[in-house]
Amino acid sequence: MNTFTEQAVVLGRHKSLVGIVTEPASPPGLKPPTVVILNTGIIHRVGHHRMYVTLSRTLATAGHTVLRFDFSGLGDSARSAEGLPLLKSCLAEISEALDWLETARESCRVILVGLCSGADHALLYGHTDPRIIGLILMDPSIPPTPRYLMHYIRPRLIHMSSWLSVVRGRSRLFQMLVESIAYAVRLKWEPQYVSLESSNGRAHLEWVYQRSVDRGIKFLIIFAGQSSFRQTYREQLLDAFPDVAFAKHLRLEFFEDCDHTFTLESDRRKLIRVILEWMVSTGFAGVAKKTTRLSFAKSAQSDEITW
Amino acid sequence: MTPFYFGSGERRLFGIYEPALSGNESARAAVLCHPWGSEYLHAHRAMRQLATKLTRAGFHTLRFDYFGTGDSAGEMTEATLATWESDIESAIDELKNMTRATRVALVGLRLGATLAATVGAKRASDVHGLVLWDPVVSGTEYLTELASQSNPTRQTPAEPSDVTCYEIRGFPLTPNMAREFRTVDLLQLLPALSTPVLIMTTVSLPSHRALYSIPAGRGNESLAIEHMPDISAWIENTTTVGALPVSAMQRIVQWLERCHEYIH
Repeated sequence: MNTFTEQAVVLGRHKSLVGIVTEPASPPGLKPPTVVILNTGIIHRVGHHRMYVTLSRTLATAGHTVLRFDFSGLGDSARSAEGLPLLKSCLAEISEALDWLETARESCRVILVGLCSGADHALLYGHTDPRIIGLILMDPSIPPTPRYLMHYIRPRLIHMSSWLSVVRGRSRLFQMLVESIAYAVRLKWEPQYVSLESSNGRAHLEWVYQRSVDRGIKFLIIFAGQSSFRQTYREQLLDAFPDVAFAKHLRLEFFEDCDHTFTLESDRRKLIRVILEWMVSTGFAGVAKKTTRLSFAKSAQSDEITW
Repeated sequence: MTPFYFGSGERRLFGIYEPALSGNESARAAVLCHPWGSEYLHAHRAMRQLATKLTRAGFHTLRFDYFGTGDSAGEMTEATLATWESDIESAIDELKNMTRATRVALVGLRLGATLAATVGAKRASDVHGLVLWDPVVSGTEYLTELASQSNPTRQTPAEPSDVTCYEIRGFPLTPNMAREFRTVDLLQLLPALSTPVLIMTTVSLPSHRALYSIPAGRGNESLAIEHMPDISAWIENTTTVGALPVSAMQRIVQWLERCHEYIH
C-alpha cells in the first residue's frame, strides 16, 4: 500500500502554475510543516535525476505535505503576461503558492527547498513571509573568500588557458577582482551582470541572512564540494558572512565528493538522510516513527533510512 | 492546459492535456512520447513547446510521463519497455476519450519515437500518423551512447554484467532494461507500419546510414525520411541552454497537418 498520495494542481493568481502535491496517505496527528520545492534553473519540477520526486515522496511518507511546482514559463506552467523581472516574478509566485497551500491545505508553517537558483530564490523570499520557518538551501550563491580564491587560483596558475583568459578580460577571477576594487573605491561601476556573488551582492546576502536569523528561520545549508566554481571548503559561508549570528539556526553540510546536481544516487541518498535528520533536530519532523523507506534503485544498499 | 493523473491505481500516469486552440470539423489529436533519462529532462521544454504549436494548429495534445519516470507513479527500476508501450496505449485511449478523435497521431523523440513506432504497428487502427524524431534506430548504438554518459567509476551497460543497477547521468538502469534496450531495432519495425511515417533526424549517427538507404516502396509508400540539422533538444549544452529546435518543430507540425488533411 502506498504511504503517500499525489495530486496534480493548478495554482497561482492566474491559475497558471502547475504543481504536484504529495501528501501522507494517513495524515499525522500533529501537522508538521509543509515543504515547498522550487525549480533549479530551467529544469522542471521533477528536478535533476528526478530527485525532487524522491524527496517529495520520502517527506510525505514522513508526514509532510510537499508541493513542487513550476515557476511561470518553466516546465508546464504558462508564461506570465505581467512582464515582471524574473526575480520579482519568481518571488511573487512563491507567495502565490503559499497562499494556495494556506487556503487549500491550511498550511501556515512552510519550509522552502531549493538548489542553486532555487536556493537563492528561497533565501531571498524567506525573510519576507512569516509563514516561512525553515530553509533548505543546496549550493546557494556564496561570495568568494581569500581562502576560496587561493583554492581556485592555485590549480589554474599552471594552465596557459587561464592566463589567456586574464589577458582577454574573460577570466571570472579577473572580473571579480575588478568589481571588488571598484566597489572598494566606490567607483561608479556597472557590473557585466548582477550576481549575488559580487561585492554588492555580498552586502545584500549578509543582510538577508541576518534578517532571516532574526526572524527565527532555521537553515539547513548543503554545499557540494565538486562545485568548485562556487565554493571549495565547508566554512566558506561563515568566512563570507562573519558578522551573521547564525548560532543554532544553522546546520551546515559539505558533501566533499558530490557534484552540483547530486548526480550519484549515493549522494542523493545522503542528502535525504541529512534532511530527515535536520527535520528531527529542529522539531519539524512529522512522525514519531524514525524509519522511512527510500525509493532508491540499489537494493544492494539499505532501502530503509533511519534518522 | 489540464494536468492530471490517468491509468490504473497502481500505474497512475501523469499527463498534461492541452485542447486545440483553433476549431476544426474533424478532431485532430496527438500523443507526445518523451525520451528517457537525462534526455527526458532536457527535452521537456521542447516537447512542451511542440505541444503548444500543435494546439495552435488545431490538435488536441496529451503529453505524459511513463511509469517510473517524471511525475508518474513508480520507480524506473520497476519499468520495462513493454510496460512503457502499454503506457502509450493508455495515453491513446485517454486522449480519444477526452476528445472526439477516433484516431491519434503519435510523436516520439529518441527512445519515445522507437516506442511510438512499436505501438503504431500494434494499434494501426487507432494511429493515423507517426513522427519519429531522432529515433533510437539501434539499441546497441544507444547503449554505447549511454555507456559514455555513465559514471566512469561504475560499470557501464554496454556489456552484459551482473551489477544490480547502472547509473546513467543520475538515472538508474536495470540490467533487464539494458537487455531490452539492446534488442531495439527500428529498421525491423518499419515494414510493419501501415500508417504514414515521418522519420526526422537532426544529428547524424552511424545507424542512420541504414535508415537513409531504405529503398522506396518498402511496403509503406507514405514513409518520409528527412534530415534537418537543428539543436538537439535532448542534450544538455551550455551554449544552447534554453534554445529550441524551432525548424524541427515547425516541420513536425507542418507534416502532421498535411498528414491529417490527406487522411480526411
